[in-house]
Amino acid sequence: MRSHFSRPAFFEGVRDMTPALIGIVPFGMVCGIGAIAAGISPLATLAMSAIMFSGAAQIIAAQLLAAGAPLPVILLSCLVVGLRFLVYSAAMAPYLRRLSHTWRNALSFVLTDQAFASTIHRFRESDDLRANASYFLGGGALLWVIWQVATLAGILVGQVIPASWQLEFVVPLCFLAVLAPLLRDRVTFLVVIAAGAAAIVLDQMPMRLSMICAGLIGIATGALVDTIRRQRE
Amino acid sequence: MSKEATIWLVICVVGAINYIARLSFIALFARRDMPPLLDRALKHVPAAMLTAIVVPAVVFTSPGVLQLGPGNAKLVAAAVALAVAAWSRSTTLTIIIGMTVLWLAQYAVR
Repeated sequence: MRSHFSRPAFFEGVRDMTPALIGIVPFGMVCGIGAIAAGISPLATLAMSAIMFSGAAQIIAAQLLAAGAPLPVILLSCLVVGLRFLVYSAAMAPYLRRLSHTWRNALSFVLTDQAFASTIHRFRESDDLRANASYFLGGGALLWVIWQVATLAGILVGQVIPASWQLEFVVPLCFLAVLAPLLRDRVTFLVVIAAGAAAIVLDQMPMRLSMICAGLIGIATGALVDTIRRQRE
Repeated sequence: MSKEATIWLVICVVGAINYIARLSFIALFARRDMPPLLDRALKHVPAAMLTAIVVPAVVFTSPGVLQLGPGNAKLVAAAVALAVAAWSRSTTLTIIIGMTVLWLAQYAVR
């Protein structure tokens, strides 16, 4: 592990990740607030952030648990949102092949949407594996630490604010902020329409299966439209 | 199974699933490429799943009661929040304005 560690690159990674915290801190707080609103204990809420380390999966688990969905439905829904990590993993893999197993295992743990988005360009531009790996580890480690702090802040806020303030509404608001810039793409717009319509039509499905089914319909719509477009070109 | 036991089970299993997905191409099958159709489908996971979470939280005023008009304070707040998000690209501003509109709209509806 040590042979690939570069301290300056690690701290460069930490420094370059700081602007991303503007988005991460409110999202982490939302995860804390959402879990507390769903009746999950503070300790379990912190464990969600430390171990699952995925805002979308944490929110889904909290909401489905509060709605009384059975365990397999919760796991299946979380599995689908976790599939995006396959994409990031596949995109990073060619750059990390020469690293030791310890390094690859460590870097995989801190592979998140933000860590991927803000470091992949560096991997594409530079061949210095030692510096790149340390840079990624620095950014990823900062995100993990801040994610825990933000969740803790959310837990505290969630316990103090009365339920009548409907603080759980910060969850859809936070996701709308993520969705809005994606809507400029036409295929993504169709994905959102399909998933949204399905979520309304399928709402009465048993065991809260509507969320996962609406998501899958949206994903299938996107893949279908992409395939048709590709054949036309 | 109690709710607390269920959540701990979810934390462990989903934590393991997420880690395996993150490890997948980096460590487990480093020599393989992603199948193209899978790649195309997975690209749409974030937009589809976020929508599947947001829409029910906004259009139903209580379980099973669909309300798609200005009488639904959550829908009004979400519409304003979406506009703010598209314009500002700020999560914090979207949340602050969205919550403010929700409270005002609820007050107005009453």
